[in-house]
Amino acid sequence: MSGNSNATASGAIERLWKPLVARSRSKRALLLMAPLVIFELLIFVAPFLILLRISVSEAGERGTAYAEGTWSADAYANVLTSEVPREVIVHSFTIGLIATAIAVAVGLLYAYAIWRADGFTKSLLLFSVVLPLLTTLVVKTYAFRPLLSPTGTLNSLLESVGLLSTPLEIVPGLAGAIVGQVYIVLPYAVLAIYSVLATMDWQLVEAARDLGASRPRSVLEVVVPQAMPGIIVATVISFAWSVGSYAAPFLLGDDVTFAMRVEGQILRDFQWPTATALSVVMIAAMLVVISALVAVLSRFGGEVEYA
Amino acid sequence: MRRESLETALFRAGYLVVFAFMLLPLAVVVVTSFGASGQIAFPPAEFSLTWYESFFDQTDWLRAFDNSLLVGLGTAVVATILGVTAAFGQEIDDGLVGRLLAPLVLLPMLIPPVIFGVTLLVYFTEFDLQGSYVSLILAHTLWATPLVYFVMRSVFRRFDWQQLDAAHDLGAGPVRSFVHVVLPNVKHGIFVGALLAFIVSLQEFVMALFLSNHTTETIPVVAWNQLRNSLSPMVSVVSTFLILISLGAILLAAAATNLNWLSKQLS
Amino acid sequence: MSEIELSGLEKRYGDELAVEDVSVTIEDGELLCLLGPSGSGKSTTLRMIAGLTSPTDGTVRIGEDDVTERPAYDRTTATVFQDWALFPHKTVLENVAFGLRMQSTSTDERRERAREMLDRVEMAEHADDNPTNLSGGQKQRVALARSLAVNPDVLLLDEPLSNLDKRLREDMQIELREIHEDLEKTFVHVTHDQDEAFTLADRIGIMADGELVQVGDPHEVYENPKNRFIEGFLGDTNFLAGEVARTTAESVVVETELGQEMILPSDGDDALAVGESLTLSLRPEVLTIGESPVANDADPETATVADGGTTNEIVGTVENAIYRGSTVRYSVAIENSSVFVERTVADSGAFDAGDDIRIRWNGADVLAFREDGTRVDL
Repeated sequence: MSGNSNATASGAIERLWKPLVARSRSKRALLLMAPLVIFELLIFVAPFLILLRISVSEAGERGTAYAEGTWSADAYANVLTSEVPREVIVHSFTIGLIATAIAVAVGLLYAYAIWRADGFTKSLLLFSVVLPLLTTLVVKTYAFRPLLSPTGTLNSLLESVGLLSTPLEIVPGLAGAIVGQVYIVLPYAVLAIYSVLATMDWQLVEAARDLGASRPRSVLEVVVPQAMPGIIVATVISFAWSVGSYAAPFLLGDDVTFAMRVEGQILRDFQWPTATALSVVMIAAMLVVISALVAVLSRFGGEVEYA
Repeated sequence: MRRESLETALFRAGYLVVFAFMLLPLAVVVVTSFGASGQIAFPPAEFSLTWYESFFDQTDWLRAFDNSLLVGLGTAVVATILGVTAAFGQEIDDGLVGRLLAPLVLLPMLIPPVIFGVTLLVYFTEFDLQGSYVSLILAHTLWATPLVYFVMRSVFRRFDWQQLDAAHDLGAGPVRSFVHVVLPNVKHGIFVGALLAFIVSLQEFVMALFLSNHTTETIPVVAWNQLRNSLSPMVSVVSTFLILISLGAILLAAAATNLNWLSKQLS
Repeated sequence: MSEIELSGLEKRYGDELAVEDVSVTIEDGELLCLLGPSGSGKSTTLRMIAGLTSPTDGTVRIGEDDVTERPAYDRTTATVFQDWALFPHKTVLENVAFGLRMQSTSTDERRERAREMLDRVEMAEHADDNPTNLSGGQKQRVALARSLAVNPDVLLLDEPLSNLDKRLREDMQIELREIHEDLEKTFVHVTHDQDEAFTLADRIGIMADGELVQVGDPHEVYENPKNRFIEGFLGDTNFLAGEVARTTAESVVVETELGQEMILPSDGDDALAVGESLTLSLRPEVLTIGESPVANDADPETATVADGGTTNEIVGTVENAIYRGSTVRYSVAIENSSVFVERTVADSGAFDAGDDIRIRWNGADVLAFREDGTRVDL
């Protein structure tokens, strides 16, 4: 950076800083928040701008990742028109949607169970969620291989009981990848829903039952709408992480997800513009789907049917 | 009443299945680490401590342990400082910056880790930091800070701020009143936040996969690279250690606060 | 049609007995108040009638049916909750129509009926509001309308007025009374407020420590409390410790902590042993006061006269006078003890602290209780 741009940078900071100070009561508060803000700008926002920039560069010569200083939309054209990226995207979204649906439904059941439990049972149920949450992805996923592979525990169990003659092809396969991915996101889904349920008044459910709602109906009419903020968070987290899943489909699946493809293009093929363009397209597509999901779910939070 | 009992039975069965699903993979890991043969099978045909013995002879695992510890501690320190100061500042004055802060801090958690790994790899390469401990610590801090930040927001919100006014009124300056009045009340929260940051870093693997090189590899990365080739019980041994560390951290954190509160912070 | 019969109702939580052997028949169209301090089991009893809590023993019968095993949604009861439990994600109208929707009533019909109910509680103009924005009194009305909309055989009210301020509470008591008279349904109302119970109830059931101690019309339980607990709970009174000094054919003479003997008329049926400990209750409204006899009365503590056997009189010193709006409460020191007396402001006699005062009462108005709390039938 030249001295000149330094001066303009400090001028820009000053122009930014003054109105911020004017709009808050305490300069000390701003100074306390500044380190985190600067950190996020440097390690989160700036890298993404560079990612964007690389995605519109020309592919590099042999041995270089991309051609610096060039502009080209080739990478996007490649991502949007050729067959392989499209298949990869569809596959990623398939895993994302199925894993999300399962994680949120199961998460709601489990969060409800934790909410209704008390004493030791409640601690035990919470513990069963927090421990996997704090255990590495690698550990969480590979354990399903000895359990679900054709020669694994589940298949030999079913065969010995006589329920199966040929083993189920769960791992490797789509089902295996989804089981693994659900296991990864389920703790987050459970806790997101539970933290909302914990603030809810049980009397509301009693009131619904008292007025003639059966148990499943009272859950549907009262618990689900009330828990909707938590369900939305659970959906967003589950979906974002499942679409971008890497470990579970790699170890348990049989097809390439977008995350696996990006990893290959960056680390092995050195095709950075294509990889970054694919990432940008995926993030955009994810944001669209997430907004749609949130919009749909928010409507259920209110009353869909009139009276 | 029969319908009620049926519903109750189904509900119980449902959450017990989920309970088993949650803990079964971890149990598989622990049990297979005691297997005798070179291939992972559950349950193992024979039990032995062979793999624990050979673990301590393997230098790449031991180095990975050191790396994980270093990155974890670094992440805990940086994330705690950033998270605590920001949460404290926002508590004093929740102005424009404060309102923008929460979504900004939260957003990284919604980006798939692989995209993060790619982005940060590209970014750190620009500064010749690829493969360094610094790059790993900064990347993990990005994930750990939201946890510290939200834990501390919740802790500060429960704190009675009149105590701080009282301290000022009695003549304590900003630093002394923070040290003597605020800190004793929030130290459990800071401890839990730092502990969570450490655990997040210790267990994180996708970003570490992209950002580490052969000398800075953390445990999950080494485990992953071995898994790509074969399922060796050695991975189970290492994983058992990781599970034990998480278990210890949960017990510590639950002792410092309580499990119910802790769980709500994690979402 | 909707008479309620509870027999041997019991609820146990682990080792703790929340409700113990409650048996009572609540008549069709009656308004029964369950009155008791918090933790006395009155809400648990109500919840067992509603089906929200299942009893560990005993049965609940509503009309002809034994409903003990039936879940709440399958009973013809409707509950108004203490915190009203309005569904925050539904409008006021949707709240009121909820029960009818559960019965699969057609949309038009349930909306019409819900509006009718809102009209009745004067909340029609809030039909499309969000219940979280309503005041406590308004929420209470909506909750009432919601419960009435399903046309229940029995309306159960779980301290619905306890979160309202005094004025509003008194208005709502009268309104509830009117609605009850209008609908001619069976109401069970739980409260810890004795004024509320006396205002509303056809009959009052008093609960203590999980047991239903006494059931009767308001006049009966007040005039004729079964034990010391009820006497203390139903109103402020002076409890005096004493010991039976001697008994005669038509009276019992009790040596009290006031340092003098008190004569209670008795028909002699109730066998009291000389030396037995008793607690006497001197309610403020049975005490009359007057100026102390002339100042030269040297020893006020012993200056008592027992004329005709049952009129008792004692002299003490006013410790303080507290103005409580329309009444004045005097605290009067006698010997080592003290007694309080209440008078309306107009009739107070305007005594000040330090004044000597003469207190008089009829021995027949004094209630006596044994050491175990049971009433002595004099």
